[in-house]
Amino acid sequence: MLQQLLTAAITIGIGIAAAFAYFYGSNILIDRMFPGSVPGDRGTRNIRIASAIRPWLFLFPAIFALTLYLVYPVIDSIWLSFHGPSGVKWVGLKNYIWFANNGTIHEALFNNFLWLLVVPAASTFFGLIVAALTDRIFWGNIAKSLIFMPMAISFVGATVIWKFVYDYRGPGQTQIGLLNAVVTWFGGSPQAWITLPFWNNFFLMVILIWIQTGFAMVILSAALRGIPEETIEAAVLDGANGLQIFFRIMVPQIWATIAVVWTTITITVLKVFDIVYAMTNGQWNTDVLANEMYTWMFEGGGDFGRGATIALIIMLLVVPIMVWNIRNANREMGGH
Amino acid sequence: MLSIGGRKSPLIWAVHLSVLLLVVIWTIPTAGLFITSFRTADQISVSGWWTALSSSERNAVARTPDASTAKEVNGKYVVTGNVLQSGGSVAKFGWSSLHPTQYDVGQVAQLRDGTTLTVAKDGTYQWANDKPFSGTRRIFFTAKTPPSFTLDNYVHVLTANGMLRAFINSLTVAVPATVIPILIAAYAAFALAWMQFPGRSLLIAIVVGLLVVPLQMSLIPLLTLYNAIGHATVVPDSSLMGHVLTISGLGLHSDDGKMIGINPKSYLGIWLAHTGFGLPLAIYLLRNYMVGLPREIIESSRVDGATDFQIFRKIILPLSFPALASFAIFQFLWTWNDLLVATVFLSHQQDSLVMTGKLKDLLGSHGGDWEILAASAFISISVPLLVFFALQKYLVRGLLAGSVK
Amino acid sequence: MFSKLLSAVAGLALMAGAASGADLVFKPGAQPDRFHWDSYTQFAKDHANLKGQTLTIFGPWRGQDQTLFENVLAYFEQATGVTVKYSSSENYEQQMVIDTQAGSPPNIGVLPQPGLIQDLASKGFIKPLPDTTKDWLLKNYAAGPSWVTLSTYKDKDGKDKLMAFPFKIDLKSLVWYSPGNFKDAGYTVPKTFEDLQALTKKIVADGGTPWCIGLGSGGATGWPATDWVEDILLRQQPASVYDGWVNNTVKFNDPRIVEAIKTFGWFAKNDKYVAGGTKAVATTDFRDSPKGLFTSPPKCYMHKQASFIPTFFPKGTQLGPNKDADFFYFPPYASKPDLGRPVEGAGTLFFITKDNPAADAFMEFLKTPIASEVWMAQSGFLTPYKGVHLSAYANDVMRKEGEILLNGTTFRFDGSDLMPGKIGAGVFWTGMVDYVGGKSAQDVADNIQKTWDSLKK
Repeated sequence: MLQQLLTAAITIGIGIAAAFAYFYGSNILIDRMFPGSVPGDRGTRNIRIASAIRPWLFLFPAIFALTLYLVYPVIDSIWLSFHGPSGVKWVGLKNYIWFANNGTIHEALFNNFLWLLVVPAASTFFGLIVAALTDRIFWGNIAKSLIFMPMAISFVGATVIWKFVYDYRGPGQTQIGLLNAVVTWFGGSPQAWITLPFWNNFFLMVILIWIQTGFAMVILSAALRGIPEETIEAAVLDGANGLQIFFRIMVPQIWATIAVVWTTITITVLKVFDIVYAMTNGQWNTDVLANEMYTWMFEGGGDFGRGATIALIIMLLVVPIMVWNIRNANREMGGH
Repeated sequence: MLSIGGRKSPLIWAVHLSVLLLVVIWTIPTAGLFITSFRTADQISVSGWWTALSSSERNAVARTPDASTAKEVNGKYVVTGNVLQSGGSVAKFGWSSLHPTQYDVGQVAQLRDGTTLTVAKDGTYQWANDKPFSGTRRIFFTAKTPPSFTLDNYVHVLTANGMLRAFINSLTVAVPATVIPILIAAYAAFALAWMQFPGRSLLIAIVVGLLVVPLQMSLIPLLTLYNAIGHATVVPDSSLMGHVLTISGLGLHSDDGKMIGINPKSYLGIWLAHTGFGLPLAIYLLRNYMVGLPREIIESSRVDGATDFQIFRKIILPLSFPALASFAIFQFLWTWNDLLVATVFLSHQQDSLVMTGKLKDLLGSHGGDWEILAASAFISISVPLLVFFALQKYLVRGLLAGSVK
Repeated sequence: MFSKLLSAVAGLALMAGAASGADLVFKPGAQPDRFHWDSYTQFAKDHANLKGQTLTIFGPWRGQDQTLFENVLAYFEQATGVTVKYSSSENYEQQMVIDTQAGSPPNIGVLPQPGLIQDLASKGFIKPLPDTTKDWLLKNYAAGPSWVTLSTYKDKDGKDKLMAFPFKIDLKSLVWYSPGNFKDAGYTVPKTFEDLQALTKKIVADGGTPWCIGLGSGGATGWPATDWVEDILLRQQPASVYDGWVNNTVKFNDPRIVEAIKTFGWFAKNDKYVAGGTKAVATTDFRDSPKGLFTSPPKCYMHKQASFIPTFFPKGTQLGPNKDADFFYFPPYASKPDLGRPVEGAGTLFFITKDNPAADAFMEFLKTPIASEVWMAQSGFLTPYKGVHLSAYANDVMRKEGEILLNGTTFRFDGSDLMPGKIGAGVFWTGMVDYVGGKSAQDVADNIQKTWDSLKK
């Protein structure tokens, strides 16, 4: 056991050291090869060469890892999407035609649309509120930690938690689900929440909002801290009240970060399948695309063709967000 | 900033109240799980967790020992015992499932088979007959029982064979899988935010696009690739480097110990996998943060002759600490809580199980051991929470205060 | 602090050391009337040349079941000197798909889904077993031909080959009840399906609730209902209809199938017949559902579920006649005597995904009576193997289950496991949930058939 501990420590050390070594080593190397301190034209030329190479030096590990771990699988999936269940037989556009004509998929698309509308907005909103308000109170850090908890809890834990919220027992029986206990306490009749058509989608969304608010809070909180004191003090001197400061000064200042958080959560919504998978597996009209992708890909031996097709469509849905981000990036860097 | 609220006390009260409300709503479900983790499986399935806090009245069933163990008292054969295991008081009892609350405590019930049964308020019962008899009997009773909690779930999880090993394995996966992507992403983000080169906005777009690639999609192509590399690569056996890598578990060896290739299921493989999967978000978040850093500082350093590498190390990195810390928190807890990548890229043998896998192993084949799940959840949450607390101070350091344009 | 940590670590290491010297749970030679020790010694003698080899097995058992299986493995290790590494994972099906597809399979895979095995076999991931194994199954397993059919799959070229070895069977056709509650209310165990329906009505007339039915199972919600339909179908129609149904030569929306679904609905879609009402059926977790038998007053009197369910009875529940819980055979129709006593079951199949001598030896080991008996004696294991001592069963309840298995006139494997994964582990489940939720049996069946058609591309 002690040896294992030691092995683990060495392993961790080697891994991290190797990563550091690359950046230091390569940068020192480039500075040696093209020293800018050489006087005259050669120095200028060296600086120019070095600064042309250096971005790629900085980017290389990232590009390498992204290509290997994400781009390559995407290309593989494009290829798979034109093939049958085991990825051997060429089927042309059949998988896409199936996608376009499948009722379950349409339902999943509609639900996905609901999720995209509600979850990013709600999570960002609550995250922003918490981030802003906890700045002003002495127990802010405790509050933040508690809001952050759902984010840190394992997914397994989260499903059990919500089982004990949405659990349904017949009328007249002891309810062990919190929501039904509250409803019956007020004299209502218990509901099988996750089977209620349409509304059950929202009960599932609540879970993701509950988790993602912690994410939004942490990022936005860091951004809020970055707003210079003077800006706010100036506003205070001008007689602005708390709400005005929040909406007129703080929100515009961190607008870019809000957009980032929104984008990230939107993408999370497109990807997350475990909530739906574990709570309903898409039954009672709660299906979403990611869940369909997962079940087609792995269940019952897997149909890689259809799984890949759904995955690619999910990726297509994100194109508008990509375009918007490029435009943003171009604007930010317009001054360069 | 703190001064704003302080000036207007009604507002600060509103702030306190609304934060409190949010915190309570956010915490109640988790609190439920926490309480659940101290209850037994049987309690969990019959009553809500909130009832565990106060004493509750419930119907229950107890079974007597076999009547052949009856003791003779005053010419009667009596079986005695107590229906309550951990205190409380009995209100009613019965001997038939049809009428479980037929008698008040103290009453003597006449049973169909000629025996008599009585239960006292403290739960002691007497089941008597005139002649020796046999068999057992169920006693139905209604009792008010005090809250009862158990540490058994935690003991069960923590003392499971191999849990410590799984804990170390988890750390071995999570720590480098957090540090490496941050380092790589920080450099890439800096390049994308402050360096000029052709194709920059295209790269940014690709990064955003890659955010949405579902993990599940990558698993099979990657594992196939790993296996292909594993079978093709030949590493000289005698090299010192190879030896070091072997003992440190990087996995540059085959199953039978010979140095013939890269073991597809090794720590190196899983670190790189987590790095790949975590990079898009890391680059996206960090670039966005870095692009907001004050241009004057960077430009003036450039004028002073600092290279980009120096600017990055001496200016960007320290200023980006809040963003680095917040990403570190997330990346750590994703890798810590991950089960999917670990089961695919690490072997699922006992000695290389990570904690999430080990915890899952404690459940029966049919799952649904809520009490174990609950205790496990709180054991595994402790480490990410520690990381959160440790890094939280970097989130609030306000390094940028006063320096942003 | 560090020294404390060290001593704790050392202590744990000691414990681990003690545990790894795994003792055999039953000492070879002990209780000769329960164990065929001769088969163990003979096997050891025949396979003495494997010392030092490694065998990896990947299967569905975790937790308690894993311990039981590892105890069986210990005998194989002891006999051959092979090191066996068993592992499992919560999503073992998905894991199996990924590992085989990516080229890093275990030596031996164990799966309870024939449908998935067929998939792996047709992709060429499974090594066929020798013909001797086929003969062995025909000769030694009760209802041998049905086991051979179950273990035969099409390979890459579409040829039928024996690919898997069935080992460890679960019995589905059981109804669990509390003998005490039956006695209190004066009910007797029904011997025919008609009696079962009459008893159901009588319990309602007496003011009770007859059934606890829970279909909830997270992502797999709905599967318990498929067992109901399959068991009912086997009692309403000849086994040939069942066989046709699982390979879709009898359409899913065939009137005979719809009739079986409706019969399940007779039980489950009547608010008075099920605890909590129909609405609770789909959402109650199947693991929580049986607990209603043991509450005071009882929430229900009967619960139909496979032989594994006692794991989820309240702690301390004793099994057996005159004890807390017992079972009866899900009875056949008196009006259809020619259908005999059909038995529905499920089970796990062992197959070789990466060949090595130890893997071949292990498949031989499974044929020794001792491999079965060690597990039988630990509980949780039923077998149709005629060559084992029935006295090896850990308790009377299991022996009674084992006898049902040996005496069944027809044995059929869980149909939903035989169907393509998308049906048997997909729309069949969701369809049953929809049915309980209010859709008509015909609509549900039509919809399942439509999906099935879409798979045949």
